[in-house]
Amino acid sequence: MKSREQEYKEIFIAEALEYFDALNRHISDLERNPQDDHVLAEIFRLLHNLKANAKAIGYLQISDVSHKLETAFSLIRNKELSFSDEVVTVLFDGIDMLGELISNIDNPGAGEPDPVLLRNLDIIVDNLSDSTIELAKVQKYNTSRKLSLSDLIYIQIKKLDHLLNLVGELMIDRDRILSISRDLNNDELMSVSSHLYRITEELQYSVMDARLVNVGSLFNKFPRIVRDIAVAEKKEVNLELIGQDIQIDRNILQIITDSLLHLVRNAITHGIEKPEERLKAGKPKEGRLALTARNDRENVIIRLTDDGKGIDFKQVKRAAIDRKMVTADAVDNLPQAELLSFLFEPGFSLAKEVTEYSGRGVGLDVVKNAIDSIGGRINIESERGKGTSFILRLPTSIAVKGALLFEVDDIYYAIPLIHTESVVSMDISELHEVGDVLLADIKGETITVVYLNELLNAPQEQMRLGDATKLKGQVQNIIIVSYNNRKLGLIVDKLYRQQDIVVKSLKKPLDNIDIYGGVTLLGTGKVCLVLDVPAITRFFTNRR
Amino acid sequence: MVQAKNGNNQQVQEPEVNTTEQASAGADNARENNPKNARPEELVHLVVFKLGTESYGIKIEQVKEVTVTPAITRMPRTPHFIKGVANIRGDIIAIMNLEERFGIRPAPVSDTEAVSTTYTLVIEAKDYSIGVVVREVPQSLNIAMSKIDKAPAFLQDISINENYIEGIAKVNNQLIVVLDMFKILTNDEIKQLASE
Repeated sequence: MKSREQEYKEIFIAEALEYFDALNRHISDLERNPQDDHVLAEIFRLLHNLKANAKAIGYLQISDVSHKLETAFSLIRNKELSFSDEVVTVLFDGIDMLGELISNIDNPGAGEPDPVLLRNLDIIVDNLSDSTIELAKVQKYNTSRKLSLSDLIYIQIKKLDHLLNLVGELMIDRDRILSISRDLNNDELMSVSSHLYRITEELQYSVMDARLVNVGSLFNKFPRIVRDIAVAEKKEVNLELIGQDIQIDRNILQIITDSLLHLVRNAITHGIEKPEERLKAGKPKEGRLALTARNDRENVIIRLTDDGKGIDFKQVKRAAIDRKMVTADAVDNLPQAELLSFLFEPGFSLAKEVTEYSGRGVGLDVVKNAIDSIGGRINIESERGKGTSFILRLPTSIAVKGALLFEVDDIYYAIPLIHTESVVSMDISELHEVGDVLLADIKGETITVVYLNELLNAPQEQMRLGDATKLKGQVQNIIIVSYNNRKLGLIVDKLYRQQDIVVKSLKKPLDNIDIYGGVTLLGTGKVCLVLDVPAITRFFTNRR
Repeated sequence: MVQAKNGNNQQVQEPEVNTTEQASAGADNARENNPKNARPEELVHLVVFKLGTESYGIKIEQVKEVTVTPAITRMPRTPHFIKGVANIRGDIIAIMNLEERFGIRPAPVSDTEAVSTTYTLVIEAKDYSIGVVVREVPQSLNIAMSKIDKAPAFLQDISINENYIEGIAKVNNQLIVVLDMFKILTNDEIKQLASE
C-alpha cells in the first residue's frame, strides 16, 4: 500500500512540474500578448487542474497558492484586473513559488511559502484596481534555479503492446532453450539457461506491471454517467465505487469499457425501479448501485450489483420457449443458472420498450463476446425483488495465461485455467450413454461428457459423441470446463501438467476459425493448440 | 534450408540451372526478334513448382523463403486444404495444400519417391505469412515478361478461379501457370475459409 501512495505522489509531482513548465511558458506568452484569450484560458485550466490534484492528494499549500493565482487570472480574464507590470511581477513570483513548493514536496525542511508574496497575491486579488495599497517588494529567491526533467514519461500503449509481444516470443524461446539444455545435460548451458529463465521472468513481470492501470480510471467515469441516465429515466440512484485502486492491464480495461457501460445502463433502466415503486416495495427511495473490484488470485473480479427488481425468471422462461431454445416441458426442470445463461444468447432481450439508454438491440451477447475475447468469464446472480449482480472475472494480463496441457490424437492442446472447473479420472463404466451424449455423475452433479477426439476429429455427419466404445482404455481423464453457467466434461487422451503459456493469436487465414483461441510453442518446439472454451461449447451445442 | 529473399536473383537450388539457361536463351531470342528495341526486355523471376503433373509459378517477390517442410501440427475443424500449422523460425504459420485447394489430382507417386521430403514455399502477404507445400524441389526461372500470356481463352474452363492466375507462360514447350498468390490470399478467400 505504501508503494502505491509513493507512486501516486511521484505521478503528482511529475504532472505538477509539467504544469509548472507550461505555466511559465504561457505566462511569458501572455506578457507579450496580454489580449490572447487562448493563452489565458490555458493558464486558467492548468491552475485549476493543479489546484484540484493538489487538494486531492493533500498538498494544501500548493492548492492554496494555485487557488490564489487562479482567482487572479479569472479577474484578468473578466477584465477586472489589468495585466499591468506590477501585477505581472506578482504573478511571476507566484508561479515561481508554486514551482518551489512542488519541488520541495519531498523536503519538509523547506519551510512555509513567503508570507509577503502571499500577501501581495491577496492584494491584487482583493483590491482590484485600487492601487493605494503598496505591493511589498518581494525578495527574489530563485534566480539560480535548477533545470530538471520530469521523472515520468508518457508512452503509447502500442509500444507496450509490442514490448509484451516480444517478451512473449522470448519466453517461448527461453523454454525451448531450457528444454534443450536439459536434454544435453551440459552444466554450463543449464546454469546459463536457468539464469535466462529468471531474467525473462522478471522482464515479463516488469512489462506486465508497466501496463497496469487502476480500475478507478474507468470506475471514476461512472458517477456522471449514472447521474445522467438516472435523470433521463426519472430514477434516483446512488452509485458506490469500491476497489478503485485494484490494478489491471490497460487493454483489458479498454475492452470491457463498453460492456460495463452497457451493464450499468441496463441496471438503471431495467433493474432499479422508479422511486414510487421502490417505496411501495418497502425499499429506500434511492436505488443502490455498487461497482466493486477485487483481486482473486491471478484474476480481477468486477462486480456490478443493483438492488432493483431482479430478473423475472417467468419472463425468461417464456422468452426462451418463444425462441425455441428449450421446450415448454423441459423449461421447468432447468436450474436457475441455466435460465440466466439464456440472457447471453444473441437476440435474447427482455426489454419491451426502447429508451434512450437501453433496449436498442445491443444485447448481453455483445457483452459476453467482449469478455470472452479476453479470456474472461461473466456470471449473473439475481433474486426477484432483491436485485441483480453481474460478476466479471477478468485476467490481470492478456499475454500470459495459466493453462492445462493435454493430448488428443497425438496433438498437444491447452485450455486456459480460467475456464476449467476441475479434472477427474473416471472408470469407463461410470460414463452412461444417454441419447447422443455421455453423462457422468461428478461430485453429485450430472454433467454432459464428450470424447474430445470425436468432437474434434470425426467427420461431422458421423460424429457419435454418445458412443462409449470409441473411448480408449479403462480410465478416462476428464477436464470439466464451464462456460455461460453450463458445465461440459471433455475426455482427453493424455493429461499433462498445468503451465503458464504465452498465447499467440492465429494469423490469417486461420484467424476466423474460432474453436482455437490461439497457439503456443512448447519448450520442445512443438506447436500446441489453445482451445477456446466458449467456441468449443458452442460448437458442441450447435453440432446438430 | 534455402533462402530466396525478395528481388534476389540468387538461384534457389542447383538443379534449376538448365531451366534458367533455356529461359534466358528464350529471352535472348525475344531480344533478337526485336532488334529495334534498345531497352532490354523486362524479366520476371519465377519460383516454379509442380502441382499434380503440371508446372506452376509464383513471382519471387511473393516468396519469402523455401524450406524443407517442417513438422506440421494438424488442426482439426479447418478446411481440408489446410494441412495444419508449423513453426518456422518461431513464427507459427498455416500450411496449405494447393492441390487440394484447387482440386488437382496429385501426381502418382513412384516407389522411389515415396519417402521423399516435401518443400514449403513461405509466401509473405502484407501482414501474415502462409506456407504452400510442394512435392519436388522448386526451381528458379527468369523469363521475359512478354512470355506470359495474360488472358488465354481457356482460363474460364479450369477449376482455378481465373483471378488467381496472372497468366500462362510458355517456355520451351513447358507450360507454366503463373499464380498470383496475393489474390489467393485476399479477403474473399479468407471468408470462404471461414465459412467452410
